[in-house]
Amino acid sequence: MSKNVIIAKDLVLEYKKDQPIIKNSNFTIKSGEFVFITGPSGSGKSTLLKSFYGELKPKSGILQIGGVMLNDIKPSKLAFLRKYLGIIFQDYKLIKEWNVKKNVMLPLLIAGYSKDVCEAQTKRLLKHVRLEGKENYFPVELSGGEQQRVAMARALAHNPVIILADEPTGNLDEYSSRVIWSLLEGANEQLGTTIVVVTHSIPSNLKVPFKHLYIEEGRVYEIG
Amino acid sequence: MKSVKNHISLIIPLFAILFSVEFYLIIDRIIQNYEKSLANDYSIIVVSKRPLSLDELKLVDEDIVSIKEIDASLVINRLKQNNINVDYNELKNFLPRFYKIFLSTFPSANKLNQIKAKLMKTEGILRVETFMKTHEKMYNFLIFIKNLSKIFLAIIFITSAMLVFKQIEVWNLEHQERMYIMSLFGAPLWMRNAILVKLSIIDTIISTLLVYAVYYYLLKSGYFSKFLGLEDIALNPDVLRTDMIWMFLLGFFISIFSIMIVSSRQPKIS
Ligand SMILES: Nc1ncnc2c1ncn2[C@@H]1O[C@H](COP(=O)(O)OP(=O)(O)OP(=O)(O)O)[C@@H](O)[C@H]1O
Ligand SMILES: [Mg+2]
Repeated sequence: MSKNVIIAKDLVLEYKKDQPIIKNSNFTIKSGEFVFITGPSGSGKSTLLKSFYGELKPKSGILQIGGVMLNDIKPSKLAFLRKYLGIIFQDYKLIKEWNVKKNVMLPLLIAGYSKDVCEAQTKRLLKHVRLEGKENYFPVELSGGEQQRVAMARALAHNPVIILADEPTGNLDEYSSRVIWSLLEGANEQLGTTIVVVTHSIPSNLKVPFKHLYIEEGRVYEIG
Repeated sequence: MKSVKNHISLIIPLFAILFSVEFYLIIDRIIQNYEKSLANDYSIIVVSKRPLSLDELKLVDEDIVSIKEIDASLVINRLKQNNINVDYNELKNFLPRFYKIFLSTFPSANKLNQIKAKLMKTEGILRVETFMKTHEKMYNFLIFIKNLSKIFLAIIFITSAMLVFKQIEVWNLEHQERMYIMSLFGAPLWMRNAILVKLSIIDTIISTLLVYAVYYYLLKSGYFSKFLGLEDIALNPDVLRTDMIWMFLLGFFISIFSIMIVSSRQPKIS
């Protein structure tokens, strides 16, 4: 009997007036669930994820994350909410002026942890994503897979309640993909973190149970 | 290299603002000092048939602050030296009294004419000598410079503030991606803008030090007073120290104000 962390009721999302990408969709995501969102290219997977972290406001209907209504959320409240999220983007979104260490530290700095805690946690995470020894590299000096692993470490750094990942292994090598899936599974299993992953192929060897949301023609369907 | 250029583009307008504000402050101070020294030196000579008291003159004009009788024996001694043969004791009773009258501030020509007219109406006063001369010209010149620097200050202030704003806008664009990513992880506004604040603090400090150095040199070398033809009015460069705290705060305030405006209309990237 875990509670719902994401609730969508009659949710409509659109960029341009009267051109809805997501139409009147209903679904819920429970705390601690591992959720995959799939669907054809351009079906609105990234759009839906964007609405979860408040980048796109619902046009109509209800969208609630962790009990917070996102419909007309104030910037300060959104900033507060985002501290509990860990987001992984398809294009990594690392800060190019910062080295690996500082990038991973970002959520910890925002949460206001002491320097010692930040250092220790960052060191631990970089080990997890197999990037020890590269803490002083800048994003441009890393391969795509390495950059995504940095982004992974950053998303995990502050032990978020929900991790939102947009095609985290989209165009990654075998090795980086394996690291990322096992970290997501680990967070879900050991910390009970809710995981929402947009992907075009669900990995076959996943050890944890999962929920599958499928988007087609603007509607979100729950499969299985 | 690019960042050096960026800094210079903020330092120059900040310097211009602070330089002109400080210029105005110094001119203002020089005028005050000059007024004081003029008022101290300056006196009106009054010739009267009867003794005059300060209280009485204060009723004539409240700007009159002191009165000093010129000793009649000085006049008599003069006459003695010239061997003029009269009964000096007798003469003493005949001679009118001479007074020097001091004013609280250095008066304008108008004011002085008013005082003169009022004094002349006072019973017993025979003559009033005001010695309006070069002092007035100098004083008018200083007032002219002060008004000129007001206009100069306003123009520099507006154009430079616009340049500061532009430069902060450039920085904002440059750091927009980073600020956006920070916001995705819930960074509050102040944290996102911290980099801009940091950059502008550095540049404000540099501009303030530059202004200090330039004025320190100008005052120390006496160039400033020489330029105004007032070599006897030296301004101690120490006054700059407290001024510079204000200059820093002013520069900082202008930068922060620009940052607030720029970030309040920051477009989102998606
Ligand atoms: N910023 C935007 N402004 C306007 N339309 C947009 C914007 N972003 C996406 N869209 C449109 O929304 C639709 C869904 O896009 P979205 O990125 O959510 O698809 P997706 O399911 O993530 O596709 P893919 O699997 O290729 O990443 C597309 O038709 C796209 O053109
Ligand atoms: Mg997408």
